[in-house]
Amino acid sequence: MTDSHFSRRSLLRYGAYGAGAAALAGTAASWDRLTGADIPGRDDGSLVVATLGPAYGPEAIRTLTEGFRKSHPDIKLRINAVQATDWSDFFAKILTQIAAGTAPDLVYVATEGVQLFAQRLGVALDKWVKRDADELREYFADVHPSLVESMMYEGSLYQLPVEFNAADIYLNSQVLKRAGASFPAADWTRDDFTALLRDMKKSSGSQFTPYFWTNRLWGGVVPWLFANDTNLLSESKAPGGAWLWDSFYPAADRQGRGGGYRWTTPQATHERVEEAYDYLASLIQEDLCTRPEGGNGQNLIGVFSTGRVGVTPAGGFWAGGLNLAGMKPGSFDVQYFPRWRTQRMQFGAAGYALLRTSKLQDEAWEFIKFASRRDTLMRLFETNQTTPARRSMLTADRYREMGPSHWQVFYDTLDKFPDTGPIPAPPQVAEVEQVLLKHTGTALASRRSVAPALRRMQSDLEKAMERDV
Amino acid sequence: MTNTQIPAVRPQQPVAEAAPAPRPSARERGTRLLAALFLAPTIVGIVIFTVVPIVGSIVLSLFHWNVIDSPTFAGAANYREMVNDSTVLVSFRNTLVFMVLAVALQLLIALTLALAVNGRMPVWLRSVFRSAFFFPLILSAASISVVMKYLFNQDFGLVNWLLGLIGIAPVPWLTSENSAMAAVILVYVWQQFGFSFLLFVGGLNNIPKEIHEAASLDGATGLRKHLSVTLPLLSPTLLVASVVGIINALQVFEQPYVLTNGGPGDSTRTVVMVIYETAFEQLRFGEASAVGVLLFVLVMAVTALQFRLSRRFVHYQ
Amino acid sequence: MSQATLTASRARHTLAPWARIAGLAVCALLTLGPVIWTVSTSLRTPAESFDLPPKIIPTSPTIESYRGVFDQIDVWLLALNSTLVTALIAVGQMITAGLAGYAFARLEFRFKKPLFGLVLATMMVPLQVTIVPVFLVLKSMGLTDTLLGLIIPAFPTAFGTFLMRQYFLGMPKDLGEAAMLDGCGPWRTFRSVYAPLATPGLAIVGVLAFNYHWNEFFRPLILETSGQNYTLPLGLVSLQGNLGTGSISVVLAGVVLSMIPAVAVFVVGQRPLREGITSAGVNR
Repeated sequence: MTDSHFSRRSLLRYGAYGAGAAALAGTAASWDRLTGADIPGRDDGSLVVATLGPAYGPEAIRTLTEGFRKSHPDIKLRINAVQATDWSDFFAKILTQIAAGTAPDLVYVATEGVQLFAQRLGVALDKWVKRDADELREYFADVHPSLVESMMYEGSLYQLPVEFNAADIYLNSQVLKRAGASFPAADWTRDDFTALLRDMKKSSGSQFTPYFWTNRLWGGVVPWLFANDTNLLSESKAPGGAWLWDSFYPAADRQGRGGGYRWTTPQATHERVEEAYDYLASLIQEDLCTRPEGGNGQNLIGVFSTGRVGVTPAGGFWAGGLNLAGMKPGSFDVQYFPRWRTQRMQFGAAGYALLRTSKLQDEAWEFIKFASRRDTLMRLFETNQTTPARRSMLTADRYREMGPSHWQVFYDTLDKFPDTGPIPAPPQVAEVEQVLLKHTGTALASRRSVAPALRRMQSDLEKAMERDV
Repeated sequence: MTNTQIPAVRPQQPVAEAAPAPRPSARERGTRLLAALFLAPTIVGIVIFTVVPIVGSIVLSLFHWNVIDSPTFAGAANYREMVNDSTVLVSFRNTLVFMVLAVALQLLIALTLALAVNGRMPVWLRSVFRSAFFFPLILSAASISVVMKYLFNQDFGLVNWLLGLIGIAPVPWLTSENSAMAAVILVYVWQQFGFSFLLFVGGLNNIPKEIHEAASLDGATGLRKHLSVTLPLLSPTLLVASVVGIINALQVFEQPYVLTNGGPGDSTRTVVMVIYETAFEQLRFGEASAVGVLLFVLVMAVTALQFRLSRRFVHYQ
Repeated sequence: MSQATLTASRARHTLAPWARIAGLAVCALLTLGPVIWTVSTSLRTPAESFDLPPKIIPTSPTIESYRGVFDQIDVWLLALNSTLVTALIAVGQMITAGLAGYAFARLEFRFKKPLFGLVLATMMVPLQVTIVPVFLVLKSMGLTDTLLGLIIPAFPTAFGTFLMRQYFLGMPKDLGEAAMLDGCGPWRTFRSVYAPLATPGLAIVGVLAFNYHWNEFFRPLILETSGQNYTLPLGLVSLQGNLGTGSISVVLAGVVLSMIPAVAVFVVGQRPLREGITSAGVNR
């Protein structure tokens, strides 16, 4: 070629044509991907189940889909693992889908959202529970009534709990040893707890926090409120529910059960609430813990497993998490939350909520039953990413390879302390949680800031609770 | 360098003002047709995906809507509620404080580094520095904030450890109202300053060498040369950098959302966070839209103010 | 400025070159530090992740965390989705910005100024304000929960249009005038004179689009509901594990993996990208 300029120019042009053609071909080839037409079960009347993404990996989704197909070959199923870092994040996304008119049939909902969904979006499961009572007897016999009661709203049952997590105290054995302290007794008190933190601080120096906690609704301040025999909102029980208790639970377990929790009057300025905040503020002042970080506790597993934190509240979900972080059984253990005025503890549970807008309600009920079967949960919870709601699944076998050695604590938090209850989560939960986190952050700046911050919390809570969700 | 101007500030080329002919010629008709065709994708897209949604937001701001039930008319109630809501007011204050400090810091760092890089040094080294300062910009703000949350931890974070080496006591970066905003600003500026940096590098390249030489002959050196000669010549670039910086800063979301979730208290809650929480967590789409409308007005006002001020301070050569 | 400050500033004079370069090196290190820490931590075991001082060069590097990423999420599908979305948005923006930029720079028509103002004003609209109405618009088009629903609304680009306008304004005017004298119509003038010169400018728009949309989180979070439609940044969230119990090394390995294409584009497209940002400030 004599004219190099020309040749380069035409080369460029042909290159551009080629790239254009390739782009067109690629777009055409991936058209189904772009429109989502290649997703099986899309817009074909499948039963759609929305789950919390990080809790349900591809493996878990396969387990659920294939297992369900085997027992119900006639029902088409699609599972949407919605990506979210926390429950509030997850609910936000589900609500957006509902706003867009693309609501799923079933949503995986934790205590944080049980009443919100029950009040505005959910269908009570009562008629199906009554119809299939014989089939469900085995399930209820295996699940603690406190968990079931936490899924009730105004006398009706809205979900069958499949998992729960109570806030127990995890202890790093290496830190314990360094402090020369022994493993605490089951009935240890708040003062034992403080003394342990002091010992840990003395023996571990800087770049170490004896007690680390995250500022959130579950496992933040609330366990201390429960231990001090109080709550953020006054707690009572709705009437009703006898239909369930009478047919599934022995007389001893029916004692004091009702139709679900009611969280109503804010009591942030109650003296016991203030006492709990004062206590936490004093721990911070003494450098026994830092002011709590916001968020979902991402740092926590890492710093605990490497011995930078001595104790922290967490539930059964940590057993799997610590194993992932490389902790060996024996290098950590778990004990009940310490006693103060009482040893009442807090938990959150989760299950599938059926939406009113669903056109496949009978099919959805079949999935709810399938998802709470023992064999399903056994496969689903193999890695101990949570505590199963079924008592019979918590066995020495399950925890042998991962620890903790006091794994019995997980379910005994319910069995041995029958007043252990769910975190306060009325239908206005989103605002209540935000108000709690916001003012907890400022309350703990110093001991003097506790009272004024709680007064502001009280007035914000009152405003939030007045609002009709 | 005869035509250094910001087109958005200055009117179009003189040709644009040409007196319209009584009847358009065939060529003019052809031009208009072509312009219509060329603009169609952009304008149609903007109308469907920005203008209509904005109008939708304004309409929505006059209603109570919780997504589940059908909307009910609220009139100005959402706006009244907004001006009485201390969280909303604090979020606007936070956003403005954030904007002023973040943009100022970003411009200062970017300008200093651009001047330093512009000095004499081997070509390869200059290119290494340019790439390094630009690099954070290509990362995802959400992912990098997750990383920063580890680094800024009070007890175990690398930042406090480094400060400890020079004898500074651990700072409760993310957990104290006094320092949380500083941490958010630092993380944001760290990621964003590269943008202004490159703008300044480009601007400096466009300043003719003769001007510097002339200034040096007049005895101007170092800082003084920069203050009296370089800065005025750079002022158009400075304007663009600050306009883009302010527009971005007023919409900050990822960094405070991941680092502090708005806390402690409300100390790092920004307007966009309030919009997100009100709409998507509390299902008050009407109130959220009202806050959104106010933010939109604020962005417009700040930008307009900037262009006004720029008439006085920006020098076109 | 007062005489006193002037004298003071003169006294400070210029820094010695080596001091300036050393200062720059420290700044570069601070800038890249978090990135280096991320990469090095992703190659260490979780047990070593919080060691201080950090072992920047891992003593026993392990790619276990990367294996973890591939075990926990469908990296290939997520990468395919991200690539499709980002590539098509980049091409789409190059087309819309190229055409609109040319129209604003070189064609005369009514309402030019208000239309250009409208385009620039869209830069000032926070995404979070319009996302719900946008969702409803997409629903009426049947595009919710599709990748197209992410792609099509991103086609118009205010910054890209602004850039391309600057770019075309920077080209010598006489070129077009000469073509006109030769009898070329407006289309021919664009097609054979200006368009061929626009390639570098378009590359800038493409690289910027890639850079922004590859990392995009909020829109996909709200718009995509099926796991099969997730993009990489969304998929990475699940690495954080149930209630934040994921291993930090795996989380960071995911961050590094998603960084790779962005870095590749950065290396290839550095020049156009830098020029693009540079030319936004100056009309050559």
